[in-house]
Order: sequence, then structure tokens, then C-alpha cells
Amino acid sequence: MSPDNPFPPPTSQTLRRVSKWGDRFFLVLVLLATAAVVAVMVALVAVLVYGSREAIESLGLSFLYTRTWNPTGNVYGIVPFAVGTLLTSAIALLIAVPLGLGAAIFLTQQAPGWLRAPVAQLIELLAAIPSIIYGFWGLIVLVPLMRYDVEPLLSKYLGWTGWFGGNPIGLDVLTASLVLSVMAIPTVTAISRDSIAAVPRSQKEAALSIGATDWEVTRRAVLPYARSGIIAGIVLGLGRALGETMAVTLVIGNRNAIPTSLFSQGQTIASLIANDFFEVANPTEVPALLEAGLILLVITLVINIGARLTLARFQAGRGVGAE
Amino acid sequence: MSSGSAGTSAPTTETPAGQPVIQRQKRGRGPMIAVIAVVIVVILVVVVGWQAGWFKSSSSSSSGTCVPPSGQTLNGAGSTLVAPLMIAWSLAYSDSTVNYASVGSGAGISDITGKTVDFGASDAPLNPAQRADIPSPGVVTFPESAGAAVPIYNLPGISTTLKFTGQILAEIYLGTMTNWNNSVLQGVNPGVTLPNAAIVVVHRSDGSGTTFVWSSFLSLENATWASTLGHATTINWPVGVGAKGNSGVTTTVKSTADAIGYVDINYALTNGVAFGAVQNPTGNYIVANVTNIESAIKDANPTFPSATGDWYNVSVLNAPGAHDYPLATFTYLFVYKDPGVAYGSSYSQAKAQALVDFLSWIVSATGQSYSAPLYYIPLTSAAVTFDQATIASITYNGATLSACAPS
Repeated sequence: MSPDNPFPPPTSQTLRRVSKWGDRFFLVLVLLATAAVVAVMVALVAVLVYGSREAIESLGLSFLYTRTWNPTGNVYGIVPFAVGTLLTSAIALLIAVPLGLGAAIFLTQQAPGWLRAPVAQLIELLAAIPSIIYGFWGLIVLVPLMRYDVEPLLSKYLGWTGWFGGNPIGLDVLTASLVLSVMAIPTVTAISRDSIAAVPRSQKEAALSIGATDWEVTRRAVLPYARSGIIAGIVLGLGRALGETMAVTLVIGNRNAIPTSLFSQGQTIASLIANDFFEVANPTEVPALLEAGLILLVITLVINIGARLTLARFQAGRGVGAE
Repeated sequence: MSSGSAGTSAPTTETPAGQPVIQRQKRGRGPMIAVIAVVIVVILVVVVGWQAGWFKSSSSSSSGTCVPPSGQTLNGAGSTLVAPLMIAWSLAYSDSTVNYASVGSGAGISDITGKTVDFGASDAPLNPAQRADIPSPGVVTFPESAGAAVPIYNLPGISTTLKFTGQILAEIYLGTMTNWNNSVLQGVNPGVTLPNAAIVVVHRSDGSGTTFVWSSFLSLENATWASTLGHATTINWPVGVGAKGNSGVTTTVKSTADAIGYVDINYALTNGVAFGAVQNPTGNYIVANVTNIESAIKDANPTFPSATGDWYNVSVLNAPGAHDYPLATFTYLFVYKDPGVAYGSSYSQAKAQALVDFLSWIVSATGQSYSAPLYYIPLTSAAVTFDQATIASITYNGATLSACAPS
């Protein structure tokens, strides 16, 4: 480094000076943006808590274990709707995860090159379809199909399990779960596909070089590496299923009782709020509905946090941190 | 918040030159715990704020002179059932701008309770709990139109109008009559071959004035219903599929073979869905139409409570006339008895006058002439007389308003 060099290499000092004002401005901007997002979240919780205070006060813990919802009798219990929400979401995931993951594996591992991009984009388009459209499709196409073709068969051959009892009319928990699974599939597929595509080539080549079959490569080299992304996809799909409102309201049959079979009419927390909020029969129902909303929020948060903890444990345990 | 230290250079706590320090962010529970902490703090703040008494409203009153009510805007909200008629009224009325939000009867009642609208509309009268919630000086209740609930059904291949008794409808909705070829149902429908098919019961999933009428009728007809389920805008249904709104019930019944539902007559007629005849107290089976609903309301001749009284048990069900339809109902408006006192000084006398003028117009012969083409039932003369007296009793800070009305 000669002393009379007219263009000295920049030191960290000069860099800092040049960019200071811009940095400060940028910092303020992003801080404001973050504060706004946090404020919205905080306001959301605040409104739910504030609005449901009367219900929390008068009903106490009974809200969490009461099995009836009867506004005229001032009896409010979350159980039928919590069961409805968790049951439909669980069945939806049981269907969506194998299908979505299978599609993601095919699209990244087996599909010919010309097929990958168009099909992947098609699946991502599915995720952009508004839920009410899925609801219409469910009501017009799926409900008659379930009522006349699928459910009588299920009732005939699987009726003994107890899951498929009663008179199948198509508007029930099973149909709602199917609509939810169709809505969750694109989310599961898109995110799993991205994370599987990010698995380094060397990982697969190493497995292939020791003579692994396609299945073994996928099972032992690819899926463990992409696991955190796949779990993220499943959690996002679950999030969509838990909170879905309109599509469920159209096909679930809207009955305020614990489903006794998959052919029972039911109600999720979201559909309960959509159905009842604008037509409360009793002023005390409004705080009860807000408390139901609060519980839906808690369920969603618990599942999300649980998924994150699981993920963190995986990463800590395996030392494999694929994003 | 300006730091003021723009000129001073940042403190240089540097690592030895050129050694970039990359802080690997630890992804873990830290941030999550912070979020949870924030949420808890917020909950605490909210609880404290609530107990400190948020949203205390103050009101003052002022008396003004009579102002001609031109260019005023009136806002109403509530019943979806009466919305088509309300919209026709607001388009036809020219003295003031009238906005009507079709948000549902329950929301209409909470909006008038919260003083966010000038009038609320509901198909069911205020129940005791809702009435207790209305702030001082209270509201007047009056019917502005009428309608009827009809049983709609979807039985492919059957074109004859089915007949129902109140007892049959109650048993279907209680879940004790489950098949269309039930001998009792077949008995009142001789000549019709009813299918051997399970009845798919459809009811409202939201609270509804139509449900109020339907359950009130079933309570009159069936003792079990009256003692276990009663009458209200929301029923703890023992069986059936819930659908949202009159249109939701109509759509579900139309798309579901072997279904039965109930809707307001204007939805049945405008959607062309089959609806059954219902037996009235004289034993005749009546297919609802504007004429026999109107005569039912006239013959039922209900005693109106005072305008500020309890309307919950006002009923025009099971009218005594031989050709009266048994499932008729009023639909109601709620307006503050004294808008000046209720809304405070920001509510001008001109606006109160405009409100009274609009209400007078909708119950007038001109206003009521919009009913029949939309399948609503015009008010009987007794109801009109009652309504006019009620509207005339609305005051502004104690002063009567009707004297100010333009011609």
C-alpha cells in the first residue's frame, strides 16, 4: 500500500460514514414496519380479550368443557366446535400430506423436465384460488357425489367401524374434511417441493453411488434433509385448514353438536363465528363468540409453536439445518 | 425523537481490522418467549384499561328552532329479510338520503343499542335481554311490514302441493318423524305417492326472525316443542342441517333431494321453490299468498303494547279466519324515543325531523304500496294507525317534531 495512492482501499470507517444516513433512515423504516405488524397482532389479541371479557367472567372454565351452545339458555361451550375444528383438520391432513408430499417427490425426483415447471405452477395456482370457490365446488360437485356414490359405499363396507354411521346426506364432517384437504394440498406440495429441490445434488449422488434405489435415495437421503421444510409446509396447510371459514360453512351442515360419526353434521369454531356473529339471539352471545375466536387463535398458536419446537429439536439433534 | 448528535462520529468499538464478525443468529426459543411476553403484557393492559372504564360517553342537550329537514342522511341497519323492501324505499324516497345496511336482525339490534344507526330493523321483536340492553331514553317499536314463513321442500317427481299440519312439522323438526312415507304425513296427503326416503331437515344456522316465527308456531302446535325448545331466533336444533340466511336454506333445499326447510315467503316465490300448504286452526290447508297473510294479520287483531313496551309476545300466528294463513309475522323497526337525548347534541333537530318524515312516509299508503310487488304484506289499517301515533310520539329534547313536518 503506497502512501500516495489516490484511491485508497475503503476501510470499514469510510464505509460506515458513507452509508450512515441511509442506514439510519432504512432502520427507522423497517422498525416502523415491524412495529406496525406487531401492533396489528397485539390489537387483534387485545380486541378478542376485551370483547370476550364478559364471557370469560361469567362462564369461567365451564366454557372449555361445556358440550352445548344454546344462546337462549345462556349456555355456551366450545367443545363441539373445538372437536369439529380439530377433527376436520386432522382428516384433511391425513389426506393432504401423503398426496401433497407424493406430488412434491414426483415433481422433484421422477418427473421429466418438461413436466416439472407447468405442473408445479398449476399446483401453486390452486393455492391462490379463493376459498369460497372451493366451497361452491364442494357444495355443487362434492356434496351430491358424496351423498349418492361415496358415502353409501363407505357405510356399506366400513359401517362396522362406527366412523361411518347414520344417514349420509353429503353435508357433513367428511365432506368438509375433503374440501379442506383439497385446499391444503397445494400448500403442502409447494413448500415441500421447494425444500426437496433445495437438497444438494451431492446428497443424492452419494446415496446413488453406494447403490441405493430411487426409493432408498428419497427415503434416506432426500426426505431427512428436507424435513424442516416439509414440516413447515404441513403446518401451513394445517393453518389453512384450522381457520378456513366459508368453504366449511357451506358443506359441514352447521350443527352445534359433537359429531357422532363422519356422516354427522358439525361445526368448526370459524364456521360458528361466521354463522352466528351477525345474528346473535342474545347479547351475551357476542362475548362468547369472541372467546371462541380467542380459543381458535390459541389453538393455532399452540400448534405453530409446537411445530417450531419440534423443528428446533430436529435441527439440534441431527445437526442438519436445511432451510 | 431526534438524537441531536448528528455530527459526532459513532463510537468505534471495532474488532481488529478486517476481521468480519458474523454473528450467527441463534434460532430458538428466545424470540418466541418475547412474543408471548408481549401478548401477556397486552392482555394485562387491556384488562386494566377495561376496568378503568374505556369509552365513557357524555351527552349534553340543546334546544333548537325548527329547521326544514333537507339534505339529511339517515342510516339504518338490520334484517336481511326486509332488505329488498328497504332498498326500494330508500331509492324512492327523495327528501333525505337513506342508507340501509342489510347486516341481519341481530346486528341491527346491536347497532341501535350502540347508537351507530338512526333506525334498526329486525324480524323478531326485542327479547327481554335485548330490551334491557337499550340505553335511556329507550326505543319505540313498531311494525313496518309483514311476511310469513312457508315450508319449502324438494321431492323429485312430486308436483302436487304437499299439505302439512303444525304437528307434522314439529315432529319432523324434532326428529321423531324421519321418513317421507310416514303414515301420518301420507294420511294428510291422499293421492300423492310419497317416497320411501329419509327426510333431510334444513334449518337456519344463523339467528333469524324466520326461525323465531317458525319456532313460535311449532311451540303453539306441539307441547314437547314448547317445553324443550321454545321459541327464539336461534334454536338448539335436535336434528338437521344448518344453512346461512334465507337464501342459504333455499339453495340447500333446492340442491338436496328429499329436503325440507322454511323460508320467508318472498324467498320461496322469487326462487321458484315448491312450498307446502299448512293447516290453520279451522282445519283448512292454506297455501300462503299476499291476500291470506294480510287477512290473517287483520283477523289475528293483535293488541299492540305501548310503543316503548314489551313486544316479545305479540303474535299474529294461527289467526281465526277460515282462509287465514297460520304462519304470518310482522317485521319491526326500532327508533330512539328521543333522538336528541339519545345521541346527544351532535344530532340536529333537522335530522330528527328527517327521520320522522321518512318513517311517516314508509307507513303511509304510498310507502306501503311498494310491499306487494316484492311479496311483502302491506300493513293493516289498525297497524298503520298505531304506527302513525308512535311516530308522532318521537320527540327532540322533549319537543314534539310532527308540527315541523313539511306539508
